[in-house]
Amino acid sequence: MTTFNSPRRIDPRSFAAAQSFITGVKIYWHKDLFGTLRSEYEHRVDVSGKAPQTVDDVEKIVAGMTTYRYYGWFERHMQKFKYAGRYGLIPWHQQERERLEKELAQKPIAPLELDPQLEMPRYYVNCDIHQHPGGVWSDPVAGFVYERASSTTTPLAGELHADMHERFTRLLEENCPAPQRVLDMGCGFGKSTGPIAAHFPQAQVDAVDLAAPVLEVAARRTKNVRFRQMDATRTDYPDGHFDLVTSTMLLHEMPPPVIEKTLAEAARVLHPGGKMVHLDFHNLRDPFARFIHYTHGRRNNEPFMEPLAEMDIAALLGKLGFKNVKIEPFAEAEGVLSPEFRAWRFPWTTITAERV
Amino acid sequence: MHSPAPEAAALFKPHPEQTFFPDPALDRAMGVVMALATEVYVLRDRLFALERLLAESGTFDRARLDAAPTPEEAAASAADRDAFVNGLLSSVLALQASKGATS
Repeated sequence: MTTFNSPRRIDPRSFAAAQSFITGVKIYWHKDLFGTLRSEYEHRVDVSGKAPQTVDDVEKIVAGMTTYRYYGWFERHMQKFKYAGRYGLIPWHQQERERLEKELAQKPIAPLELDPQLEMPRYYVNCDIHQHPGGVWSDPVAGFVYERASSTTTPLAGELHADMHERFTRLLEENCPAPQRVLDMGCGFGKSTGPIAAHFPQAQVDAVDLAAPVLEVAARRTKNVRFRQMDATRTDYPDGHFDLVTSTMLLHEMPPPVIEKTLAEAARVLHPGGKMVHLDFHNLRDPFARFIHYTHGRRNNEPFMEPLAEMDIAALLGKLGFKNVKIEPFAEAEGVLSPEFRAWRFPWTTITAERV
Repeated sequence: MHSPAPEAAALFKPHPEQTFFPDPALDRAMGVVMALATEVYVLRDRLFALERLLAESGTFDRARLDAAPTPEEAAASAADRDAFVNGLLSSVLALQASKGATS
């Protein structure tokens, strides 16, 4: 019998309520706490009469501010509660393991190729990205954990981000109107691969990821995609095979040498005139935005956010055999690039290029 | 699968948590506060669900539950309120309950 007071069992209502509370606190953090921090920062800059030029300049201004201390604490700890608290995603999915493993025993709806011999790179296993204990690669049910977690990664989603993937696929179409072969690198559980496959029904869409657990979920959510466990830096596709190579939120999870290898692999598998579009975090409009982004990377266990933002991507792409490189801010919803938009948001950026 | 969950768990050696306040005691106390707040919200959610189910089944009249207490009820609960407050705030006075060293 399930009892409310059992110390070991989390009932579904309590799990949902606790996760909803955590999301509510995160929404408050995104709007009120960040908005207040930004206003206090701007006031201090006004009073000093000196515009900060660097991340260090910003840090000197905010480091001792009480609002910043709470801002940092809540950013770090609400994510920790979300995953690892008493009602966290990890204890919940551990408890639900038997049911989830039964789901994994069902046949996938899309082709799925796993490679049990694939070695996980050291950078990938050394840090639990997003504060997800064990990462997305080590536990068979980790794909479900990630899927559930990402439903509240951007808790303003209901209000603002609902059409983000639609906007991204529209951008893909502008760059490459009718691709026949598409490769989605670092596809995760297929959150962005699904809309790409739906948008280009005539195309053969292949999607690769390092982690089997996320591919297991992807192949049970999305049809018309071939999911393959593979390192994006060394795929087995022939030279010039694809019309379009994409990734969403992949590059910032890799150290710069791996980013370079990934982009070089994209160049190899694209035919001349083929297009590459990555959605990631890169352009930062001022030192305050840069400081907020770098410290987010530290607090959310994403150590490569800062190095990616510091890279000269345009020069690298030129060297790797791309032309018509565009690195532009991406509006995930109407109005978010306006200075009047005061809430916290990721510095979404699209990197598009054409294979020479 | 590459490695089962127990292996991943064995890989994990806890590092000291990041701190944000001049006194890390506040970092830790904030964690306790937010864990308690989560429990309060879980209880509140469950209480509302229980009330809804009971009201739907006709077991009780929601309007009577929601009504402000009568003066008699308020008087009867005042003693309970005072005991609750005393229990909650007694630590603020920082007095020993048994004889012993003071530091």
